[in-house]
Amino acid sequence: MAPFALVTPATPEEAIARLREGPGEEVAVLAGGTDLLFDIEAQRTRPRTVLSLRRLPWRTLEWSGATLTVGSTLPLRSLENDPDVRLRLPGLYHAVRAVGSVALRHRATLGGNLGRAAPASDLVPMLLALDAEVDLVGPEGERTVSVDRFIEGSRKTARGPAELIRSVRFPEARPSAYLWQRVRPFHDISHLAVAVALSPTDGRWRVAIAGFPPRPVRLPPAEAELDAPYPTDASLARAAALLARNAPIVADRRASEEYRRQLVRPLFVRAVRAAVPSPRAP
Amino acid sequence: MSVAPPRPDAALKAAGRAVFATDLELPGMLWGALVLAPVAHGRIRSVDLAGARALEGVVAVGHADLARLTGGLSGDAERPAFPRDAVTYRHQPVAAVAAPTLERARAAARAVTVAVDELEALASLESIFPDWPGSEAGRSPHVAAHVRARKGDVEAAFREAELVVRETYRTASVHQVALEPHACVADVRDDRWTVHTSTQSPFGVREDTASILGVPESSIVVDGTWVGGGFGGKGASLLEPYALLLSREARRPVRLALTYREEFLLGRTTLPSVVRLETAVRSGQISARRVRLLLDVGTSLPGRDFATGYSIGFLLGPYRTPAFEVEGYAVRTNKPPFGPHRAPFAPQCAFAVESHLEEVAHRLGVDPLAFKSDHLWREGDSTPFGQRVLPFGLGEALGRARETAARWTREAPPGHGVGVGVGFWSTGTGAGGEARLRLSPTDLTIVQGEREIGSGSVIVGLAAVAERRSGLPRERIRVAYEDTAHAPFDSGVFGSRTVGALGRAVDEALVTLLGRLAERVGGAGPPTLAVENDEIVVRVGSTERPIAELLTDAEREAGGLEAEGKHYGRGGTIDESLVLDGTFYAYTDFTGAAHVAEVAVDPETGTVRLVRYAAFHDVGTVVDAASARAQVEGGVAMGIGTALTEEAIWSDDARLENAGLVDYRIPTLGEVPPLEVTFVSGHAGAGPFGAKGLGEPPIIPVPAAIASAVRAAGGGHVTELPLTPERVARAVKPH
Repeated sequence: MAPFALVTPATPEEAIARLREGPGEEVAVLAGGTDLLFDIEAQRTRPRTVLSLRRLPWRTLEWSGATLTVGSTLPLRSLENDPDVRLRLPGLYHAVRAVGSVALRHRATLGGNLGRAAPASDLVPMLLALDAEVDLVGPEGERTVSVDRFIEGSRKTARGPAELIRSVRFPEARPSAYLWQRVRPFHDISHLAVAVALSPTDGRWRVAIAGFPPRPVRLPPAEAELDAPYPTDASLARAAALLARNAPIVADRRASEEYRRQLVRPLFVRAVRAAVPSPRAP
Repeated sequence: MSVAPPRPDAALKAAGRAVFATDLELPGMLWGALVLAPVAHGRIRSVDLAGARALEGVVAVGHADLARLTGGLSGDAERPAFPRDAVTYRHQPVAAVAAPTLERARAAARAVTVAVDELEALASLESIFPDWPGSEAGRSPHVAAHVRARKGDVEAAFREAELVVRETYRTASVHQVALEPHACVADVRDDRWTVHTSTQSPFGVREDTASILGVPESSIVVDGTWVGGGFGGKGASLLEPYALLLSREARRPVRLALTYREEFLLGRTTLPSVVRLETAVRSGQISARRVRLLLDVGTSLPGRDFATGYSIGFLLGPYRTPAFEVEGYAVRTNKPPFGPHRAPFAPQCAFAVESHLEEVAHRLGVDPLAFKSDHLWREGDSTPFGQRVLPFGLGEALGRARETAARWTREAPPGHGVGVGVGFWSTGTGAGGEARLRLSPTDLTIVQGEREIGSGSVIVGLAAVAERRSGLPRERIRVAYEDTAHAPFDSGVFGSRTVGALGRAVDEALVTLLGRLAERVGGAGPPTLAVENDEIVVRVGSTERPIAELLTDAEREAGGLEAEGKHYGRGGTIDESLVLDGTFYAYTDFTGAAHVAEVAVDPETGTVRLVRYAAFHDVGTVVDAASARAQVEGGVAMGIGTALTEEAIWSDDARLENAGLVDYRIPTLGEVPPLEVTFVSGHAGAGPFGAKGLGEPPIIPVPAAIASAVRAAGGGHVTELPLTPERVARAVKPH
């Protein structure tokens, strides 16, 4: 691994000040390091300075009514262990559980996962379906953007060069589910994933699909086909067909396009049924 | 409940006190790095070391330095340490550097300029023989070795057959994935070339290194370190010649270790194959088989035909075959040379032949396991190659497996399937070994030349043999290791041979030692050792004497009574009149296993989940129950990878696309199901007390058993390894 200077500021102000010094491409932000360190080792990125967020007071998890705010440096394992997350945002719980291994989730963070914007992220699709928002803090102050706007592409985000992700906000508890397909069930990268959530406020479904480049996406036409709260088999089938046909799926070395499209229907149907079990079910 | 005693190395390794090669730091040591070829195939114009040598404290060596040493030769023609004029695989080492820090060594490696005219790379069997088996591969310049043998009137048998089944199977390239990458520390002083290295065969490395460097074997000292897993990947020299050259140039010790990425890129491992199987059936019995094999052997040079000449017998399976024709092609590509991976290529062969014979049985409308049992070799039978089958417990193992499979099938819920796979193997008792024992008044020391590679075969297996022969409790038996300058010769920890062959040498030495003691004691009956009042005593009949009283002054001075043992076994023989071309290898000591797998298959996604697993092994005699069980557990876990997830992916220009553990997927503990292990005994092998080898057999039947279970669960007939969800989903029959 190429040598770099490690900076561990104690306050957000210090961190932002260091980022302002730049130059941008030579300073890498570390919030767990489970992805960044891979890239440094493989020399895909060669930062001179690594700015670690581990001393910042952002390892937080806060429920305010039905709204959940997660500090960006909270280890994923803590998110997964919160009993309310499992109860009120079950899709998020399952998406977090899909990331790496237990040991890795003790280090990896939600802010790190968002900031790195890996095309096969297991968290971004669920964040999309939950209408999560990203709270950024920078030299110009604070701003909030939707995850959909924040993720601009593969490894590309709307984070400014001197900005940091402070927290991620989930506006409401939602029946939700996250299902993935991989070669190896544990500690692998999903080659197709489906996130679904039903908003109790507007009574509409959100559907996101992921596992292929460049980034996870929502598919509003398929969402619109779904009856709420209990989709009929016919509406599920129509939505599944739309998804399988229209999702911007491509092949890479992990899976063919044909196989990925074949996976959409079973994963999607199972996810919707898991999120909102039919009232007819025993 | 009995609790196995802790292994002698357990505390050391758990506490991090075991010194591995990468822990070894000698005074003044430099750090080494390799310069790797940028293309898969090309003509070298120049390798310019000046940029590296300009950095402070850096030494660099390349072909010219090696040629200087060997008097103009490029070392061993089969394993040149540096290529002279042509790069034959991507990331082939073309130079090596050493520096006071690892960072500077890596910078120096980058500063070496390699000018190569790139040539077209041969990447795959399909690109070389697109129409095979339609087209003849025989005369192609890309064939490194060709083997062919036949017996009986094969054409007539196929002409007169009631049923002919023809199928093609494909298998993937798999890597050993030892936890510890290759590493060594070389220290050349005067004319003594010492290398501390992680190896399965110190004497093998000495021989290899001597021939590559053109240095007499007597000048080279190989000191084995602890080995963090070998699985065949650490049997031959890899880094030692480079490290020794660097140390000689620098006049300082040099550590050279691979990163895990390099471990994949330089890997000597199993490469892809295409297997064509044809079977003729008459009166419900196999009347003839045709087997054709295309095996990628990477840049192995002409004449390296071990892979085809040995493996092709496994494609006939352990089944009576009245007439057959087999033909194998070892095909050269621009990949690293083929190397052994636990039971080299046998799991892939077992997968193909077991799946194929199951298909034959299905088309005949008979029970596949009954069909296989009917054809299975029995003790005293001849193999298709005319080799006599000596004591063989596979029939009993398969019988037990069938009972378990029948019970599991009755219990299986919908969506589950139960399958059985069979495999046979040959214990490498033909490869020789020697040991020296020393009995003091307080302990028995086994002096030998192998380091423990993790299985326990050295530090537990050899001690267990001595315990069983002498009656002396295990805690009084020490397995000592010496480097190649001091240890008695041994071939290496490979081929499932450690207990079978080196164990025989230990046993022979102990019999000699006990015989001498008996002479000194007098009395009648077999001598045994025991501990009385903290002292070792020998008992012969009713006479008992402390060892201390039996030693001469000279022996006391030397630390005890010594005895030596050797075992140089004989290989088997085949009927050479059947061989039409190439070399076929006989098996030495038959062993076998039958495995039962239960899986759940998701027909929509192709996901296979292992539910439970049972393994029945003919091991002759179990010498240490805990180690034997652990070997089967490890072998099955490794086989699950070969069966379901592991696949090195090569691009069209012979680039390894998944050189790392993110996309090269070994199983996690989560995929290893509850496992029942049963040993079938009473079919004595050539090892001590009738023991047979168990290092490799446990991996062999795994892909076959899992593929059979997937098929039973409705997952379709998959003819390609590994059985990834995508392949299974494609094979699922439309409902």
